[in-house]
Amino acid sequence: MAKILGIDLGTTNSAMAVMEGGEPRVLENQEGNRTTPSIVSYSKSGERLVGLLAKRQAVVNPTNTIFSVKRLIGRKFTDEEVTRDKAWLPYELRASGQEGVEIKMGEKWYKPEEISAMILQKLKLDAEAKLGEKIDEAVITVPAYFDDSQRQATKTAGEVAGFKVRRIVNEPTAAALAYGLNKKKDEKIVVYDLGGGTFDISILEVGDNTVEVKATGGDTHLGGDDFDKIIIEYLVDEYKKQEGVDISKDSLALQRLKEAAERAKHELSTAMETEINLPYVTSDANGPKHFLIKLTRAKLESLVGDLISRSIALVKEAVTAPAPKGAGLKLTDIDEIVMVGGQTRMPAVQEAVKKLFGKEAHKGINPDEVVAIGAAVQAGILQGDVKDILLLDVTPLTLSLETLGGVSTPMIQKNTTVPTGKTQVFSTAADNQTSVEIHVGQGERPLMADNKTLGRFILDGIPPSPRGVPQVEVTFDIDANGILNVSAKDKASGKSQSIRIEATTSLNKEEVERLKKEAEMYAAEDQKKRELIETKNQAESAVYMAEKSLREGGDKIATDVRSGVEEKVKKVKELQEGTDVELLKTAITELSQEMQKIGTAMYNKDTSADPQTEEEKKSDTSSSEDQADANNNDNANNNN
Amino acid sequence: MSEQEQGELNKRIETVEKERQEYLDGWRRAKADFINYKKEEAERFTSVAKFANESLLLELILILDSFTLGLSVLKNDKDAEKGMGLVKLQLEEVLKRHGLEKIPISLGKQFDPTTQEAVGEVVSGSPPGTVAEVAEDGYTLNGKVLRATKVKLSKNKSKEK
Repeated sequence: MAKILGIDLGTTNSAMAVMEGGEPRVLENQEGNRTTPSIVSYSKSGERLVGLLAKRQAVVNPTNTIFSVKRLIGRKFTDEEVTRDKAWLPYELRASGQEGVEIKMGEKWYKPEEISAMILQKLKLDAEAKLGEKIDEAVITVPAYFDDSQRQATKTAGEVAGFKVRRIVNEPTAAALAYGLNKKKDEKIVVYDLGGGTFDISILEVGDNTVEVKATGGDTHLGGDDFDKIIIEYLVDEYKKQEGVDISKDSLALQRLKEAAERAKHELSTAMETEINLPYVTSDANGPKHFLIKLTRAKLESLVGDLISRSIALVKEAVTAPAPKGAGLKLTDIDEIVMVGGQTRMPAVQEAVKKLFGKEAHKGINPDEVVAIGAAVQAGILQGDVKDILLLDVTPLTLSLETLGGVSTPMIQKNTTVPTGKTQVFSTAADNQTSVEIHVGQGERPLMADNKTLGRFILDGIPPSPRGVPQVEVTFDIDANGILNVSAKDKASGKSQSIRIEATTSLNKEEVERLKKEAEMYAAEDQKKRELIETKNQAESAVYMAEKSLREGGDKIATDVRSGVEEKVKKVKELQEGTDVELLKTAITELSQEMQKIGTAMYNKDTSADPQTEEEKKSDTSSSEDQADANNNDNANNNN
Repeated sequence: MSEQEQGELNKRIETVEKERQEYLDGWRRAKADFINYKKEEAERFTSVAKFANESLLLELILILDSFTLGLSVLKNDKDAEKGMGLVKLQLEEVLKRHGLEKIPISLGKQFDPTTQEAVGEVVSGSPPGTVAEVAEDGYTLNGKVLRATKVKLSKNKSKEK
C-alpha cells in the first residue's frame, strides 16, 4: 500500500512524517535533517535551490531568495497583512491579474503557491528517496485561521508538486491528533504554538471524533527569533560596557555571537547558567579581544519576560473574549493544553502557561515535529493503517523455572507479546543425578516459593555423570491463546517430557495486580534472600571444586597446602549453614585464594615434566571452572 | 448428504477459505513487516553509530575555530605560534580519526551551496560570485556536511556603483 506523506508546511521550516507499522516516523531530508527551511532561491549561477542550500546563499542573494511565502499564499495584494509584510520582505512583490500576489525570483514572476510547490516537491523527492517508494498522496497542514482562499492555494501548491492532496488539516488539530486527543469526548483544548517567527493560539473543541476550531488568536510576528534578537542585543550591550567595543560592527564576530546566543538559549532550557565563551572574537588597536559572559536562566527570563507576558495576554484574550474575537470560555473550562514550536521548550514559557491554566501542558512529543507527526496520523487514518485488526496479548506475569536453592529463573519476562518461545540449557546440581524436576511458576518474586506454581514434572533417565555435565534443554512456548507448553529434553539420552498449561494470560486482573504489588512490596527483602541463596550456591560449587581438586591431586599436593584448603573448606561449610552473606562471601574468596596455592605449588613442582602433561592439567582446571559456572543455574532437585 | 447440508458445507468451506486467506495474508504481512523492521533497525543503528559523535564533534570544531583565530594573531611570537600550532594539530588529528574531514576549498572557484555558506561579499580580483575568502572552515562527517564552509564571495566593484 502506497504511503501518504504528512507535511507540516511551515513559515520558516517544514517537516514531514509517515506512518510505519502503526507508528508515525519523521523523515529526514536529503541533507540528513529532520526539518527543511521553507526557502526557495534562484541562485546567481542560474540554479533553483530549495531548503538549506537556498538558505546558505540568502545573505548574498537577498532579492532572489524567497522565504516566509506562507505569509503571502492565497492572499490579495491589497490585504493589510501583505502591505505590512511587503515593507520588510527583501524580494519584490506585485499584484497579479486576479487580485493575487506575485513574487519576483530571477527574471520571472511566480505565484506564492508555485513557490510553496517547489518546497513541497523537494519534500516529496526526499521522502521518496528515503523510503525507496513512490509517494503520490499527502496531508498538508495549515494554520487554523487560514481562510478558504489560503487553503485552496495550499492545496493547489500540493497538486503542482505532484501530490494528490488527500486533506488540508489545521495545524492545532494535527498537534492534538499527535497526542491522541481526538479520542476524547467533549473536551476543550488550547494549542499554544510559538514557532520561529509566528505565534498561533487555537481553541479546539473535541467531540464524537470531530475537532472544531472555536477561536484563533496570536501574533504573526512573534516567535523564537525575537527571543534570539533580545539576547544578542543584551550581549552586545554588555560587551560594550565590559570592553568598550561594539561587536555588532564586526559582521563575522556578530555571526559567531548569534550562533553562540542560540546555543546558550537552548542550554538554559536544561541548565541554570551557561557561559558564552568566544576567544579571539574580534580585535582592536591593542590586539585580540575575547568574549566571555555568563548568562543565567534568571537573566534570560527577565530579558524575554515581556515577550512571554505578551503571549500569555493573547492566550487569555483568545480563550475568554466573546465571539468572534475569542471562544467566550472561562480559563477553567480548558481541559488540555498542547505545546507546539521550538520556543515552547523554554521552561519559563511552560511555567507561564501552566500558571495561567493551573494544569500541565502536553509536551512529550518534539514540539518542532508534533504537527508533521499529527499530519502523518491523519494520513494513517485515511489509508487505514491505524486500525489494528489483529490484537495480540501479552503475558501479564513472568514465567519462570525453579533452579538450585529455590530460585525462580525467568524464562519469559512479563509484558512479552505472545506467541513467543524461549529455550535454555540447564544442568544437574549433584553428581550422578539421574532426574530433574521441572517446576514452572508465574510471578515477579525471585524465589519460587513466593510465586504461583503452574505445574511440575520430572524428567528422568539422565545417564549418571558428574554435576554440571548433563545438558537439559528446557523450552517454554506460549501460543496466541496463552497456552504454555513446557518441555525438557536430555541431550545425551534424547529423553524428553513435557507439560501443557492452559490460560496463562487469562489471570483475572485482581490477581495480576496483587502479584505485582507483592513483588514490589517485598523487593528489598527478596533481593536479600536471593543473594543469600546465590552465595550459598557459589559456596557449594567452591567446596565441590576444592574437594575434587584435593581428591584428584592426591599425593602431589603438599601437606601444608592440603590442610590449608581443608581448613577453608570447613569454614565455608560452617558458614553455609548460617545467614550472613558477607562472611560467607569472604570465606569463599579465601577458599579460592587458598586453592590457587594448589595450582602454583603443582606448577612449580612440574616445571621439569613434559609439556603434554602440563597441557592436560591446564585444560582440566578450565573445564572444572566451566562446570562451576554452569552450576549457578543448576536445578536443585535431586530425585535420586 | 442432503442438498441443504451440502450447501451449508460449501458455504462453510467458503467462509473458512476466506478466513484462511485473510489470516495467511496477515501472517505474511506481519512476518514481512518484522523482517523489514529488522533490516531498517540495523540500518538505523549503523547510521546512529556513524553519527553518534555528531554533536560532540560540532562542539569540538568550535574549539578548533578558536585555535585558528588565536594562531592568526600569534604571528609575532614564533615559539608560541609553533606550540599552539602543534596543540591545534593534535586536536585536528583526533577529530580526523573520528571521521571528521575538512572540506577542501579553492579560492576563485564558483560558489557551491552544497558545502558552502555565503556570509558576505568582498571586492576582489576574481569573477563575481566566486569564492573570495574563507571565513570559517567547514567539515564533513562520514560524507555528511556537518558544518558548511563559511565563505565571502567576490563582487564587482563597478556593479556596486
